[in-house]
Amino acid sequence: MTNETNVHRSRRSGSVEAPLQTRANTIVKAEDHGTPLELSDITIRYGGGKSGAEAVSVVEGFDLTLHAGEMHCVAGRSGSGKTSILTVGAGLTLPTSGRVFWEGDSLESMGDDEIADRRRALIGYVDQGGALIDGMSALENVLLPAVPDGEVEQRRDMAKDLLDLVGLGRRMRHRPAQLSGGERQRVAIARALILGTRVLVVDEPTASLDRASANRIISILKDTTNDGIAVLVASHDHELVRLSDTLTELI
Amino acid sequence: MNAVQRFIRSKVLLLTAAILIAAMCLSVLVQGQSQAALNRTVDENSRGLYDVLVQSKAGSGALMQPEIANGGGGISFEQLESIRDLSGTSVAAPISLVSRVTQNLEAPRLDAMDYLGYNAGLAGTATADQAAGATAPNQWPAAESVLSDTAKKYRLTASAVSSDGVSERTLFKSTAEGTLGKAKLVEERAAGGSSIRIAAPEGETGIKFPDPAGGSEHNLFNLSVSLPLSPEVTESVVAVDPVAERALLGSAGDFLAPLEKAPPADARNAGAIGRHFESLFTNGISMDELAEGPDFLGVKLKYWAPLMTQYQQAKRNGQLTADSQAIPLIVRSGTSLDLKYNVKIEEIDGSGKVVNEVGTASRSLDKDYLPFVSKDPFALSWPGSTDHSSLLGSQGNFNQGLYTPATWSTDFAAAPKYTDGGTAANGAVEKTAVPGEWVTVNRLPEKTPSGGPVDQTQREPVDERSYRENLDTGEKLAAPLAMVYGTFDPSAVAEAAGDVNRLPLGGYDPTPFTLSKDAEGKDVTATELKPSLSATGLASQSAGAITDYYGLAAARGYKDNAPVIDAVRVRAKAPGSWKQAQPDVEQLASEIREMGLEATVVAGSAREDASIFVPGYSKDGAGKESALGTVQQSWVRQNAADAVTGSLTGTNVTLLFLTLCGAALLTGASTVSYIRKRRTEAGTLRAMGWTQRRIRSWVLEEFGVGAALLAVAGIVLSVASWSLTTVIVSASVLALYAAAAFFAAQQLRHRDEVDQEPQHDERLIPVDSPLTFANRQLSTNKFNTLSLAVAVGVFGAAVGGLIALLIDIPRAAGASALSGLAAASVALPSILLALSGVIVGLVLTLVTGRFELNAKRQYLGILEAMGWNPDMLRQVRLFENALVGTVALPLGVLGALGIGLLLAPYAALWAGVAGLVAVLCWIPIATKVVQ
Repeated sequence: MTNETNVHRSRRSGSVEAPLQTRANTIVKAEDHGTPLELSDITIRYGGGKSGAEAVSVVEGFDLTLHAGEMHCVAGRSGSGKTSILTVGAGLTLPTSGRVFWEGDSLESMGDDEIADRRRALIGYVDQGGALIDGMSALENVLLPAVPDGEVEQRRDMAKDLLDLVGLGRRMRHRPAQLSGGERQRVAIARALILGTRVLVVDEPTASLDRASANRIISILKDTTNDGIAVLVASHDHELVRLSDTLTELI
Repeated sequence: MNAVQRFIRSKVLLLTAAILIAAMCLSVLVQGQSQAALNRTVDENSRGLYDVLVQSKAGSGALMQPEIANGGGGISFEQLESIRDLSGTSVAAPISLVSRVTQNLEAPRLDAMDYLGYNAGLAGTATADQAAGATAPNQWPAAESVLSDTAKKYRLTASAVSSDGVSERTLFKSTAEGTLGKAKLVEERAAGGSSIRIAAPEGETGIKFPDPAGGSEHNLFNLSVSLPLSPEVTESVVAVDPVAERALLGSAGDFLAPLEKAPPADARNAGAIGRHFESLFTNGISMDELAEGPDFLGVKLKYWAPLMTQYQQAKRNGQLTADSQAIPLIVRSGTSLDLKYNVKIEEIDGSGKVVNEVGTASRSLDKDYLPFVSKDPFALSWPGSTDHSSLLGSQGNFNQGLYTPATWSTDFAAAPKYTDGGTAANGAVEKTAVPGEWVTVNRLPEKTPSGGPVDQTQREPVDERSYRENLDTGEKLAAPLAMVYGTFDPSAVAEAAGDVNRLPLGGYDPTPFTLSKDAEGKDVTATELKPSLSATGLASQSAGAITDYYGLAAARGYKDNAPVIDAVRVRAKAPGSWKQAQPDVEQLASEIREMGLEATVVAGSAREDASIFVPGYSKDGAGKESALGTVQQSWVRQNAADAVTGSLTGTNVTLLFLTLCGAALLTGASTVSYIRKRRTEAGTLRAMGWTQRRIRSWVLEEFGVGAALLAVAGIVLSVASWSLTTVIVSASVLALYAAAAFFAAQQLRHRDEVDQEPQHDERLIPVDSPLTFANRQLSTNKFNTLSLAVAVGVFGAAVGGLIALLIDIPRAAGASALSGLAAASVALPSILLALSGVIVGLVLTLVTGRFELNAKRQYLGILEAMGWNPDMLRQVRLFENALVGTVALPLGVLGALGIGLLLAPYAALWAGVAGLVAVLCWIPIATKVVQ
């Protein structure tokens, strides 16, 4: 993969007022409105090592500062490293070099358990295609993040609200196999928001969706930014690119 | 991409074919090798020295008592000849118990070195004959003595101790006092010269034990004190046909050769033979002839002294009559009797107070002992003594002979009686020895050598339990004269009889007893029981002597052609192994039975330990009887070879069957895995316009490659092993594989999936923890869960089977010695086969565990992305495996129990426990391994 050129575009205007409240009852306090996610000089390479294969550089020297209520879109062609940046930002993989900061704290100094705990509190990750767990209803899928803290029952109403929010209030008892791609994507977004997420990391949310479904997803994401939640989204959807506050285009 | 390439690409099919071929090879080869090894071992160890044991009455079941020479007789010489005349007979070797013989050892003595140095007057004649090994006069050492110049007072305490291996018994204890001192040479003038004599020091009283012991006397080398007599020893005598016995034993029977030269029945008059030897000595005999033994009808009678001693005593006592017979004997060398003679020596003052402990002299009755013969003087050595008597060279020390002639008796000649007890799981038989009356041993002879009375109060007779019955047989004849022709070593006879199929050869090869439990039933260190002094006790030693059938008639007083033969051991002419010879042996046995005799086929038998409880073995001073405990003795298990082969073949076949079952399960699991992987591909092909028929062909082509490989392997293995089992196994595996192929092709058909609503079942347990999450995943994927559970259960059952096999192979084989050998020959292949079953179970868990591996990886990734920490993810995996294990547990335990019951009922419980442990262990291991 070639080195990318980061094209930054900012449409952000003014600071976010505090406190805000999402329609999903997620309270975002004023003091939390700082810089929830920052990527500094991130380089991601794959391959090499013991296998002897030539290392492929996917991302070189990538910087990003994501503010509360801001939607940043990482655009680029397939294989340009969009998903890699997202997984690094979500702390799911480590970069080859560079640093990731969550609310000013570097992930380097954290252990696996701490990263998991912080991720649960800070980041909602929505996989490409909205990966859900079979055998569990939409509502149960949404409630899964609450299991580690034992807050399933406390969050049940909130989960229902979130499903209502994403337009699936009447499909909450359906299982993934009975949901369309767009619906699964929306359940995944609802699931990402259930714990009062401050950063929503979303990978290709509108890929393989029809325009109407895609627009609905975009609308939901945009709404979340209005609630003070920062959104890092990877997409090459023109509408999403257009509506994002800032943009990095990977070449 | 052609079918072969697709087959190779499809790792599951490749793996399945490889495992099936490996299972075929392993099961067929192991089965073949195992069965061949089993047959070989059984064959090689199932034909002993003889094939048929002929007795006059029926045995007591499948377990045969090892004592066959019991004095009961029952077979006549005509019947023996008839057996020999049968066309299938190669050797027919008769054996009978002749008698028991009680004899006293020679007079023991204590030699205190009191060497007076060379003196021509005393030693000149002997030392002049350098050929006899005497030392030249100038090389004799200076005089030395352990005694003082002036006589000192000593107290000698003589005692004898005997042990049966369990407890010691003091047979007597006798004390004598007197003064002893250094001797001196006294030269006295006599007519025509001077004479030299040895004189005691002044004031020496000497020491004299009560009669029949003599006193003390000085000689050139020692002061000799005559000690109390050793206890009497009882020996048994058996009769064989020397020619047949040598044919039976091979070179181990060469010791019987001299008996073949013994005179016939009408030339054994004791008086005539005694007179012949008397004239031999009267006419003069050289020292060389004396040492080698005078010639008697072509046999050098090395042990002539006992014959002469007994002849002279019998003549003097008027016991020698015209009916007295000389009996040729081959006597046993050494004894297993544990008898130790001790003399404690103390120096005392006039008041009897001990002023110096000189020490204790000891000697055991051991390898130097020869029944009927005193090979060496039974001399004990005073502490600090050196024996200088060899300076005079060899004297041929047989002149002292027996103290009294042996007393021949047919009392207690029958074999011990036993009553049957329970039978253990491995077939070992429990029995109880039936004690007879008490017999008294440790008695003194009635007369001294000079015919004087003996003080009987110096010994307390000892009661010993008899395990043999009195037999009133024949007429009481005049005292026979023992004529020793040679010696034999019982261990050489035992070695010739072999170990595994050690068959009773008769009284000269008795089977030892080993104490295993005490009277309370507690295990004790295995201790071999020593024979009794009386030869009527539980454990008997090998016969003291072997004679021929003329000797038997002479000792027992039988007339011509009386049925005096206890047993005949018959070897069939049929050559080869047990299996090859079996029909001919059976035919021979059948012909012998037609003579009205009991013929037991012992080819195919093996020795087996019987546990024998021994009650009323001893009694204390108050007369209270005590049990000995439980002893083990090797008996003979008839048809052991058939039983062992049948049992272990059954184990092998069961193992093979179980391995095939494992292979079938593995094939099924692999097929499912294949179907799941290919379903998407099949859909794509269908979308491309392929028909169902074309898709099925496409699948079957791949399976066809595997089937071809299996068929080739099956044919190669079948041809190589040339066995029907191999053909059946190969065909079964191929059929399994073909069935799996058609099933797979069928399952890849297109099916319309109908979206079913409503969707969520409220009865499901809510997901609120790693445990409930794991439960939901498993209940959602029921087929996968069940498949994995079955696989884990199979693994547990296979481990249980392996453990059962390890524990139980010896039991399955039975309790005989042949079983042990046979089990050892099949243990490794069987364990390999069982181990392959465990591996199949393990691979099965891996194959079924991969059914939804991608889905599992995906949801674990989702959970991780949602912030589930590594510990919670580990909990999910652990709970999943624990739940699978819970389902697998009954299957594993019941399967293991079932396999245990099939393979080894005795170890079924252990198999169940092993299955349980294996499944429980799988849970954390699978959690750790499957990240």
